[in-house]
Amino acid sequence: MSSADQGLETTFKATAKRSIADRLANELRFVPVAVGLLALFIFFATQSEVFLTSRNLNNLMIQSTVTGIIALGLVFVLLTGEIDLSVAGTSGVASVFMAKLVVDFGAPVGVAVFAGVMCGVLIGAASGRWITLIGVPSFVVTLGVGLVLNGVQLMILPRTGRYNLLNTGVDEIASTTISGTGAWIIFAVAVGAVSWVRWSSYHARKSQRLPASFGQMVLLPVAIIGGSLLVLVLVLSSLKGLPMPIILFLGLLGGCAYLTGETRFGLYLYAIGNSAEAARRAGINVNRIKIAAFAIAGGLAAFAGILAASRILGVSVSSGGGIGGGALLLESIAAAVIGGVSLFGGRGRIVGVLFGAMIIATVSNGLNLMGVANEARLIVTGLLLVLAVSIDRGIEKIAGPS
Amino acid sequence: MALDRVVAEPILELEGISKSYGGVKALTDVSLTLRPGEVVALVGDNGAGKSTLVKTMAGVVKPDKGRYTFEGKNVSINGPSDASDLGIQTVYQDLSLCNNLDAVQNLFLGREQTLPWWRGGRIQRAECEVRARQVLRKLRLDSIALDRNVGAMSGGQRQNIAIARSILWEPKVVLLDEPTAALSHSAAEQVGVLIRELAAHGLAVLVISHDIHHFVIDVTDRIEVLRLGQNAASFSSKDVTGERVVNAMVGGEEGINSAG
Repeated sequence: MSSADQGLETTFKATAKRSIADRLANELRFVPVAVGLLALFIFFATQSEVFLTSRNLNNLMIQSTVTGIIALGLVFVLLTGEIDLSVAGTSGVASVFMAKLVVDFGAPVGVAVFAGVMCGVLIGAASGRWITLIGVPSFVVTLGVGLVLNGVQLMILPRTGRYNLLNTGVDEIASTTISGTGAWIIFAVAVGAVSWVRWSSYHARKSQRLPASFGQMVLLPVAIIGGSLLVLVLVLSSLKGLPMPIILFLGLLGGCAYLTGETRFGLYLYAIGNSAEAARRAGINVNRIKIAAFAIAGGLAAFAGILAASRILGVSVSSGGGIGGGALLLESIAAAVIGGVSLFGGRGRIVGVLFGAMIIATVSNGLNLMGVANEARLIVTGLLLVLAVSIDRGIEKIAGPS
Repeated sequence: MALDRVVAEPILELEGISKSYGGVKALTDVSLTLRPGEVVALVGDNGAGKSTLVKTMAGVVKPDKGRYTFEGKNVSINGPSDASDLGIQTVYQDLSLCNNLDAVQNLFLGREQTLPWWRGGRIQRAECEVRARQVLRKLRLDSIALDRNVGAMSGGQRQNIAIARSILWEPKVVLLDEPTAALSHSAAEQVGVLIRELAAHGLAVLVISHDIHHFVIDVTDRIEVLRLGQNAASFSSKDVTGERVVNAMVGGEEGINSAG
């Protein structure tokens, strides 16, 4: 028989035959959310003439950056099957700490921002250490830590309850825009980075004589990402240029996607989220990976808090969502979950956060333009969260157990 | 028997192994020998000490007394990593697979090849996949889809991936804890074929199993029976019936132990 002389190319042919449901449950998990976002865009475009203007889209995207950056960090923790309810509190404390350094101690902006981010990293690492050392559920520990941080925030604020950051240099972080040649250089760097990552994967497979499709592995992802960025740059360039918050959010998004999708650390997050015991037996230092995840969540939350402070030109008692984290905490978790990240660990992709954060910002922005009151916004966001998780669950059922 | 004279030198020998937990004697003076190319079944009733004996070999349990010889040398095993350094791999009953990762990721979990961090630290997926293909092909497991999550695979395929993972780094001894429990008859047969394949490649294989009549008699070369923590009997699988093995397990004529 001919089975003996089949080559590597012809055996393992089951590789190519994967159902659409299976792929939707894995690498195409973001597609339903992206479709949902598109539907929202179409709906609001029919309801308000202002919605699709460059200026509004610019505002909408800037609105999504703070929630989005906190959600990026949360994904690391969620993937391991833990949760961090102190991220909003961390963002508040770190931003007040940064403001205090600048206003009271005259620290240079760069030093203060770095110190603020490190403060978040330390808070996250400490929570992670405590959770892994004692074995207390993370939602309890981080709930407590969040309240502690709210208290600390009130303590380090001055008696006026507010630090004004206008004309301190901190305000320039969010107000900076990059236009013209600078914008196109950033565009070229982003597309170049994506192309290089995709192409080198493709090239490695080709040189090992493994099946590899140039179209699916390189052309399609580069075209989609490059095309989206092109539209983005064109739209934003018609105003003042690329706002720094959007550049920072997308840059961090790319970095986090690389870390979770391409590196050993990222793979271990997924492994631990599915079975910490299996990961441990495979020789993975589960505690160390979890602590690192909490540290990243803390650092990104702190950075998001600083960005928020820079946008609203100051910090106050309500920085970091106020007591308990408020809407900021809930919307950050919702952004990750709407984006397809499971609260039970081991499932979801970083890119989902982009869509999750955009959906939340779009609902808020669109309903605002329609003149709908704030309470309706909360109701719609809540229902979308339930709907998104339900769709996710349905796809999982069709795709089979995992 | 004729078979015994042609087989290889022992690779792993346990002599006089005893272990008690508090006042309970789990193992008393147990001996066991594994040889390259041979599949040995370890059978016994619940509580006979099978798992404790396997855990002793795997370095998870430290015996109170007894001699552990590997490749003719007396060794001291102080943990699972000592055992795996010698070339002893264990596949536990729960398989320790991550359902949300694909076959290649599971095979290499914890041992991925990566680029150095200054070159981006990426996992070298293509290299891992080539290696995975070679190993799976050697074991005639070509039908496994490498990029599918193992959670979506059948019990037999999952078991086979767990076994393939244990031999990825070329061990000399493989210990399998109940590889056919919870598998259908045909899936168990596939796993049996794979186990014979391991022995054909010169590995010493030890299998704990309760499936005496089909799996143990058909797949293994030798059957070691434990009862109440002691060696009760040893059979060549060729010339024994399931009844005799079961009798040795329960300690006498049919019916006596099942009544009390």
